[in-house]
Amino acid sequence: MYKLLLAGLVTLLLVGCSDQSWRTTDIGDIMPKLDFSLTDEEGEAVQGEDYRGKVTLVYFGYTFCPDVCPITLARLGDAIRKLDEETRDEIQVLFISVDPSRDTPEVLKRYTHAFGPEFVGLTGDKAEIDAVTNRYRVAYEYSEANENGDYLVNHSSAVFAFDREGQAQFLVRDSHPVSDVEADIKRLVAKG
Amino acid sequence: MANNLPGVLIGRACQGMALSALTLLLMAGVAQAQSLEVTNARLSLLPGDTPGAGYFELQNLSDEAVALVGAESPAFENVEMHVSSEHNGMAHMHAIESIEIAPGERIEFAPKGHHLMFIRRATPLSEGDEADVVLKFSDEQRLPVTFEVVSPASM
Repeated sequence: MYKLLLAGLVTLLLVGCSDQSWRTTDIGDIMPKLDFSLTDEEGEAVQGEDYRGKVTLVYFGYTFCPDVCPITLARLGDAIRKLDEETRDEIQVLFISVDPSRDTPEVLKRYTHAFGPEFVGLTGDKAEIDAVTNRYRVAYEYSEANENGDYLVNHSSAVFAFDREGQAQFLVRDSHPVSDVEADIKRLVAKG
Repeated sequence: MANNLPGVLIGRACQGMALSALTLLLMAGVAQAQSLEVTNARLSLLPGDTPGAGYFELQNLSDEAVALVGAESPAFENVEMHVSSEHNGMAHMHAIESIEIAPGERIEFAPKGHHLMFIRRATPLSEGDEADVVLKFSDEQRLPVTFEVVSPASM
């Protein structure tokens, strides 16, 4: 009887530890490692490997977006704020701009500052941005500019999560409940 | 006397705060014309010249349909009406010209849906401030609404 219980417990533990049990969407086998050549919000050239060592969440957006982008980032910030300080220090959020002509390092720095110390803005030239968006199969497109020269950008609404070694783990869609997102972030940090 | 000064100051500060809170409660985010009522009006402010978003609930209390056709604010050069939507994992946003509100209907401008887009600040604003906005309707009705300026993190 005890053996049976133990076997059951071990199975449970194994299932619990498996990468297959993300509550959000598992992308471990289908997305490449975190890699890019971009410019950070200090104007420095950076590579994907500069962001190893912490759990990394990546979101593609643009600062001229008043609704979806800040709400998504604010909700990620909320989820992070609920964790204890030690866990928070193990997380970084990269906001990769798909609108480099408006999103200069200065604009990004001011913008990400509003969401918390974990947030870092990245930009680059069009070719560099396209290299990252193609790598993660992220689409974006510009609308026509209006009479004031303002234009909107349609873009992927997903958040990609990578472990400390830069391996792709899970993807958060708009439809995933916040509690699932929080649970997965927590588990990814705990994975060590 | 001198010992009592901090207490007096705190008392006054509390009185002042209570009054401000009451004023805020009465003023911020609420507006009513005879037939239209706006509640929970918030302006999600972003740093620098990054555009902000306006959210509120609007109820048509009259027995005739009315259309919201735009908004303006002295605090911004331009205010547009937009709607966000999601198809196949892509976030889309586009401008809309008007939105009709049936008699008795209540519509919501809320995150990731309809919102006002406040473009290019004309006056400095910060969280905790109030921003004057006028909602414009198809029947020439203009409804002044006070929006509470908040952080997107509070949405």
